[in-house]
Amino acid sequence: MKRLALWILAFGFGLALPAAWAQEIKLGSLNDLTGPTSDVGKDIALGIREAVQYVNDTGGINGKRIRLYLYDYGYRVPEAITTYKRFRDFDKVVGVLGWGTGDTEALSPTVSKDRLPYLSHSFAAKLTDPKTAPYNFVYGTDYSSNARAAMTAWFDEMWMKDPRFRDARAKGEKPRVIMFYAFPVPYASAPIRALKNHAALLGFEVGPDQDVSLVALDTKSQVLGAKAFRPHLAWHGNTTMSVAATIKDAHALALGADHIVNNWGYDENLVRLAGPAAEGVMGIAVTAFYGEKAPLMDKVVEYAKKINPGVPQEVRMIRTVQGWAQVLMMTEAMRRADKAGKLTGPGLREAFETFQGWTPGLGVPPITLTATDHRTSSVIPIYRVRGGKFEPVKNVDLKARWSKEWESEWFGY
Amino acid sequence: MNYLPSGVYHQTYAASHAWWQTSFVRAKMGLLVLFVATLPLYASLYVVSVANIALYTMLSALGVQLLTGYCGQITLGHAAFIAVGAYVTAMGVLFWGLPYPLAAVLGCLAAGLWSVVFGLPSARIKGFYQIMTTMAAQFITVDFIITHYVSRVGGRGHYFSLPPGTITIGGWPVDGEVKVYYLAAALTFVCFAAVANLLRTKVGRAWIAIRDNDIAAEAMGVNVVAYKLLAFFAAGVLAGVAGAVWIPSLYFVSPEHFQLSWSLWVVGVILIGGVGSLHGVVFGAFFVTVILELLKFAVIPLADFYPALTERFLYLKEAAFGLAIVLFLLYEPRGLAYRWQQLKNYFNLWPFAY
Repeated sequence: MKRLALWILAFGFGLALPAAWAQEIKLGSLNDLTGPTSDVGKDIALGIREAVQYVNDTGGINGKRIRLYLYDYGYRVPEAITTYKRFRDFDKVVGVLGWGTGDTEALSPTVSKDRLPYLSHSFAAKLTDPKTAPYNFVYGTDYSSNARAAMTAWFDEMWMKDPRFRDARAKGEKPRVIMFYAFPVPYASAPIRALKNHAALLGFEVGPDQDVSLVALDTKSQVLGAKAFRPHLAWHGNTTMSVAATIKDAHALALGADHIVNNWGYDENLVRLAGPAAEGVMGIAVTAFYGEKAPLMDKVVEYAKKINPGVPQEVRMIRTVQGWAQVLMMTEAMRRADKAGKLTGPGLREAFETFQGWTPGLGVPPITLTATDHRTSSVIPIYRVRGGKFEPVKNVDLKARWSKEWESEWFGY
Repeated sequence: MNYLPSGVYHQTYAASHAWWQTSFVRAKMGLLVLFVATLPLYASLYVVSVANIALYTMLSALGVQLLTGYCGQITLGHAAFIAVGAYVTAMGVLFWGLPYPLAAVLGCLAAGLWSVVFGLPSARIKGFYQIMTTMAAQFITVDFIITHYVSRVGGRGHYFSLPPGTITIGGWPVDGEVKVYYLAAALTFVCFAAVANLLRTKVGRAWIAIRDNDIAAEAMGVNVVAYKLLAFFAAGVLAGVAGAVWIPSLYFVSPEHFQLSWSLWVVGVILIGGVGSLHGVVFGAFFVTVILELLKFAVIPLADFYPALTERFLYLKEAAFGLAIVLFLLYEPRGLAYRWQQLKNYFNLWPFAY
């Protein structure tokens, strides 16, 4: 009996204590720690927790603490919905840090109706059009622009320059591209239309799309399906695990194509998993890699060691840095909204739309948002694996090269 | 209280077949209806949205219960038929300009007929082989046909997003949690009433006979194949209802919503709730929906003291679902519904042991 009373007391205390912290700002975060995208999701969640701690240690939001509610939803859409509604009605958060394309796009109409700003890890181009998704924001360049930039970089740097392709170019052959991605997964399929449009623009021949599941371990049949087309270039639109499997199988079966990878498939684990097959693979990174030289990176490493000492440094990845970028962008908007005295959903949205060339450091290209365009930047850094390390290839500026298309045609898909 | 006093007998067939026999039961059910009808008045929208997911889970699992629990045909591909219902409804509204109720009816019929197609092999095979054919239904329907072809109808594809205000019932737009809640609650009530009554007819008895022993059923003159296909049709229609309810809750549909995991999830629901019991569907759906939410309530206050809890230990939530099924199979194979029955018996007989 006495023990029971003690437990009740402890539990009641636990419930009452948070209420005693005055002046706190609530922030919700929806993450996948157990589902099919948890290969990148776990590191992000650690990064988000560390970044929030950093923000609180350095003065919070103009003196107010941030209280983070971080939930796992296992990439299940129904649970994403109930969790979002929990954020809205129960936790009463000011803004939400979201996760995948499927749930973010599914929630987008609800978010606009509730006027609750939603900063997602999904960079689907549809989320960057304020006409259809006024309360959705992203912290990196959108998938469609990423795909266009990676294809452009390969075209400029490899196809036009590499001696391997000299004969093909001399014969007037068109470069051939094949796309590996999970058809039913909105993240993977989001940039495909833009990519095909861009392939036509640059004069590529497009082979039959290959469906690779996010959890695929064996992709030989897809690689063999692609091989008949003799591609020069392969696009990988999945997350790291299945991208690594595909690149390994492509290597083993001598597909003979170069690879370009979307940002969620391009991290330290790709090199670890694919080994020598990853050599030369090009891809998009929306922030600097973990531990790379960049402003604020020392803090990222310091907090990773301090908050999660149990997680070895060598398994921390670019995903940690992305978690930081997301949190820092959200907190910057909160700071601006708070200064204007409008720390509400609409106020936060207006604060986001005042971003003019702002960057948190960490290798994030300067972010500019307006009320009519939520694309963060037109400059996309492309990397390449060289000797097991990532090296920058070039920054592709889509707007400088195709200004008319960038302004109108490429907007929103 | 469920029983009539000793010496009081039914005078008519109608009375002996009545669902609610005593005034206590009638009052109890009246309270339940009142509770369901007034929930949105005092509950927060969060609670309503959890209730919506629970109702959707119930409708999803009802067809599985009918097929597996009453007709003995194990299915691991039920999400495919929910998907057919959802997609036909969405396409009806989006592309063919049909009013939502008509599109939903069409969706239910399409799901029922599609289900019959995958029920056909049950004429020749049963057991493990049938599990394989129902799984084939999942992969052929969702991962192949819907993903590769249906989703690409019109535009950038891979999902359909319905413009706001397109889902109306007789001019009333169905948007927001509360309206979806009433729609889902009404349809759930209708479906449960229909299935409960269907099970008391010749058809229902034939299904139960097939479940218990198909050879004996055939010997007694039950047309086994026809009744099995009828069960597949009915289960498909119920899946179609679930799909139609799913559409207004998001105004959005993608093949990702109907993966194999959802098929397994609804089988888990009836295992936890109790196979061969309509109460089981309700209890199971509540259990799996509410437990996940309650776990959040348990974890969040603790996360203030140990923040890494949410990152490092939330996989326990996934494990909890699997563990729940294992524990139910081991210790309560007849599910929550049986426990509920025991509880009622205890109070009915109290203070006597039997």
